[in-house]
Amino acid sequence: MNEQTHMLDIDNLHAKVEDKDILKGLSLSLRPGEVHAIMGPNGSGKSTLAHVLAGREGYTVTQGGVKFRGQDLLAMEPEERAAAGVFLGFQYPVEIPGVTNLYFLKAALNAQRKSRGEKELDAADFLAYVKQRVKQMQMDPKMLHRGVNEGFSGGEKKRNEILQMLVLQPSMMILDETDSGLDIDALKVVADGINAMRGPTTATLLVTHYQRLLDHVQPDRVHVLADGRIVKSGGPELARELEEKGYAWLQPQKAA
Amino acid sequence: MSSLEHYARAFERLPASARTDARRGALSRLLELGLPTTAHEDWKYTDLSSVHELAPDGGDIDGEAPARLDADADGVDALNAAFAGGGLQLDVPAGSHRAEIIVAGGNGHRRHHVRLGRGAQARLRLDVQPHAAFQTVVLDIELDAGAQLTMLRLQDAGADARHLTRVRARLGRDTTLDLSTVDLGGRLSRHDLVVDLAEPGAQVHLRGLFVASGDGHIDNHTRFDHRAPHGTSRETVRGLARDAARGVFNGKIVVHPGAQKTDSEQRVANLILSPKAEINAKPELEIYADDVKCAHGATFGQLDLTALFYLRSRGLPEADARALLTLAFAMEPLRAIPDADFRREAIGRVSAHLGASIEEMS
Ligand SMILES: Nc1ncnc2c1ncn2[C@@H]1O[C@H](COP(=O)(O)OP(=O)(O)OP(=O)(O)O)[C@@H](O)[C@H]1O
Ligand SMILES: [Mg+2]
Repeated sequence: MNEQTHMLDIDNLHAKVEDKDILKGLSLSLRPGEVHAIMGPNGSGKSTLAHVLAGREGYTVTQGGVKFRGQDLLAMEPEERAAAGVFLGFQYPVEIPGVTNLYFLKAALNAQRKSRGEKELDAADFLAYVKQRVKQMQMDPKMLHRGVNEGFSGGEKKRNEILQMLVLQPSMMILDETDSGLDIDALKVVADGINAMRGPTTATLLVTHYQRLLDHVQPDRVHVLADGRIVKSGGPELARELEEKGYAWLQPQKAA
Repeated sequence: MSSLEHYARAFERLPASARTDARRGALSRLLELGLPTTAHEDWKYTDLSSVHELAPDGGDIDGEAPARLDADADGVDALNAAFAGGGLQLDVPAGSHRAEIIVAGGNGHRRHHVRLGRGAQARLRLDVQPHAAFQTVVLDIELDAGAQLTMLRLQDAGADARHLTRVRARLGRDTTLDLSTVDLGGRLSRHDLVVDLAEPGAQVHLRGLFVASGDGHIDNHTRFDHRAPHGTSRETVRGLARDAARGVFNGKIVVHPGAQKTDSEQRVANLILSPKAEINAKPELEIYADDVKCAHGATFGQLDLTALFYLRSRGLPEADARALLTLAFAMEPLRAIPDADFRREAIGRVSAHLGASIEEMS
């Protein structure tokens, strides 16, 4: 495989948190247009991977590296990664009382546009732009005037992550359990949002525990992450197999 | 003890008509007590030595003698009683409404008195002289049964200004005192709020914000005395300190014997934005009644790192993300100010002070 054709190229990534090794040699590549799913037991390192990719502090990469469109992703600040097109949908979205969703979305989009040398949107244009996406996510427009995720239910927070994604139009989406805690209708709306972002120039990494999301968003590849490494990869049928059999049969051999 | 002679000399310079017996009595009390020093528990963190030597400025003092000195008056009360000009003397008649904002400010030391008759309602802004070398402002408030007073005390004083304010309120039956305080400036800024919930059903709501910057010092001391049943007190205070500034908050709540069904809540949160900045905040709760509901809590911290990462992961540069979180923290008590004009003014001044553009934040 030619590196140039990769959108995201994770190579032998080792990372630790507070002296605890979590990622232990993880390799994974996505080409433009692809959707990959990552499944795996609790505590296996899925969110750690997502956080390392987005640039959260507190993680130390001890070996290996990550290229995003050929660039050294790990050398970039979180906001630079965002402006370059990386988006992390949080497993646990953060509440920020006192900052409205509208202000937050506009500040984020304009900061990204500014750093890419694009023209910032004025208030009126932005409002029209964002309202259309609020509608697409079947959310109440009043949410725009509430604090970011303030008092939102678990499902509303996940919807809000996808709304942010639709507003920011990233090219590399890392969605960490965005499907958890959604009812059937919300799952459909969220899946539609993810599919709307699918295209020849974008790629998506879906972290999930459930087949039901993958019924709506067909992955090209499915990987199993266990104990900090990819222990098995396959096509969409792997997810169904995992749903039936669990992970036990895949536990990494403690090789010498 | 340093010489207090300059007080006596300044007193003799007052116009003859101002040198009343009452003022002279206050002067001798001042000469006896001096201003408080850091040896006094209530003044542990606030050092007045920079104003000890200052000769009081008579300002636009006139013959009217300010009010009585209580037996427990301290040097600040005595200084104010000896040198304060008349200030605002307001009596809002029973049942009437004063919707316009009454402003109490002025030069020199000031003493104001506001009384609301039965069922009266009023709005009051208490100001200080923003460039005073040293000003004391004392306001006594009396609320008769059913009266409601909504107040804003906002100081955005110059970097060399020094102020001491003291607001004392006596709340009658079923009265409400709604007070919002914002402290943004000054070299030395000390504010005492003493509320006496003297009769049943009285309520006091305090929302406070201080932002201590530069080498400023902002100290708020509050004391709520629940002396009668069914009283309610709510106190939400946020403090920020940056640069090499210091903030102090002391919130004392005393539930006296017999003040059953008291419902009291005090929430204090502080944000320290630089390694040289400091905040000392202390809740003090004394409860001598058994059937009461009292909750209080104080937190100290830096900005929430998870929230900071969330904002940055969406593309906000780190400095902008920090500024936004700081602003949101500061705005929390102000967003709840019920009076729309006061709310707008407080939010506008604070956002200008913190250098943020706020139009769409709320
Ligand atoms: N700050 C931290 N300090 C110590 N250990 C941590 C810290 N953060 C994560 N861990 C540990 O790292 C391991 C991987 O956590 P991670 O959140 O990546 O798992 P996950 O695969 O996302 O799990 P889940 O499916 O439950 O979301 C866990 O054992 C977790 O306890
Ligand atoms: Mg996780």
